[in-house]
Amino acid sequence: MEPIERVIRGILLGGIAASVALMVAGLVLGVARGGGLPRGVVPLAELPRALAALRPAAYLSLGLIVLIGTPFVRVAGSLVVFVKERDRRYVLVSASVFLVMCLGVLLGRA
Amino acid sequence: MAATGGVIALLAVAVVAGVFGSMLGVGGGIIMVPMLSLAFGVPIKVAIATSIVCVIATSSMAQTTFVSRGMTNVRLGMLLEVATSTGAVAGGVTAVLIDGRALQFSFAAVCVYVAWQMSRRGGDVTPARTGVLEAVYYDPAARRDVEYGVRRLRLGFVLSLGAGNISGLLGVGGGAFKVPIMNLLMGVPLKATIATSNLMIGVTAAAGAAIFYERGYMDPYYAVPAALGILVGARLGPRLALRFSARALGVIFQVVLLVFAVMMTLTGLGLAL
Repeated sequence: MEPIERVIRGILLGGIAASVALMVAGLVLGVARGGGLPRGVVPLAELPRALAALRPAAYLSLGLIVLIGTPFVRVAGSLVVFVKERDRRYVLVSASVFLVMCLGVLLGRA
Repeated sequence: MAATGGVIALLAVAVVAGVFGSMLGVGGGIIMVPMLSLAFGVPIKVAIATSIVCVIATSSMAQTTFVSRGMTNVRLGMLLEVATSTGAVAGGVTAVLIDGRALQFSFAAVCVYVAWQMSRRGGDVTPARTGVLEAVYYDPAARRDVEYGVRRLRLGFVLSLGAGNISGLLGVGGGAFKVPIMNLLMGVPLKATIATSNLMIGVTAAAGAAIFYERGYMDPYYAVPAALGILVGARLGPRLALRFSARALGVIFQVVLLVFAVMMTLTGLGLAL
């Protein structure tokens, strides 16, 4: 595998493993507390406190956030590899993709 | 939905969507949205949010296989991601300007046209060296290395802007057009196309998912079982894609396109969704 392929694979595997672990933790907490699967995600601002309180919804939410965040990290990781390889064209390409993704999120919020 | 039985049914649907989505590089959203809203009675925005999470899970899991087998043309994928993500962001902005129904009918027409073009060609593209973004991968079904170069990069880039725009407008169908653009037009062999499309769909979906999360449409009650099922399916799908002949994969893809066309026409007529 090329370095770019190794990095992409590593980031994706890490992201999947972390999000599955968090979701399973949330499910186990849900069963242990007898509430079943919770409805609705925890807003970002309330997440730290909800995690500390061992609320199942918080772990499920964070699992989803990690899953959603993985492609962002993948593009950022690719950018780092291209910078290291001094591949200017693809530094520009991956930086553009990352910016457009962020722009999409910002426009969607507005 | 009844608690445990419903969750298990959702898991099963997600496994199937994960297999097909990753095997064909289309993401499986088109299966998840109608299933969730029609069979499980999920509100449409929550169904779309769940389906977007499924597309991300498909993309990430499928890549762990495709990228380590050298099937994904990472540079080509990232270059076209510039076009598809820009198109998708613009789609959110232009959505108010275009008649949704006209768009659904044109989507259906394009699906039929692409399926017809693919069947007319018969097998896969004949790979040729072009000096542009060349790559090589091993095809275990054909038991040989496939070497290819990319053709018509500029035209492919421009059409990818359109594909991204349509997926931004309709919320589905990104992969359904990325695959034919790369395969039919740019001369990328079908398996490399599917692998590369799988990489690309995660990018537009992630930006969309972040917005849905923020707006409160994400519901772990559906999203978590769906994502877990998808991860299982998307582990199997790429292995099937590697094992099938490119010709067989092409036929499956054409059938799926025709199903898309029928579903979009029904949606346009207001008969479903």
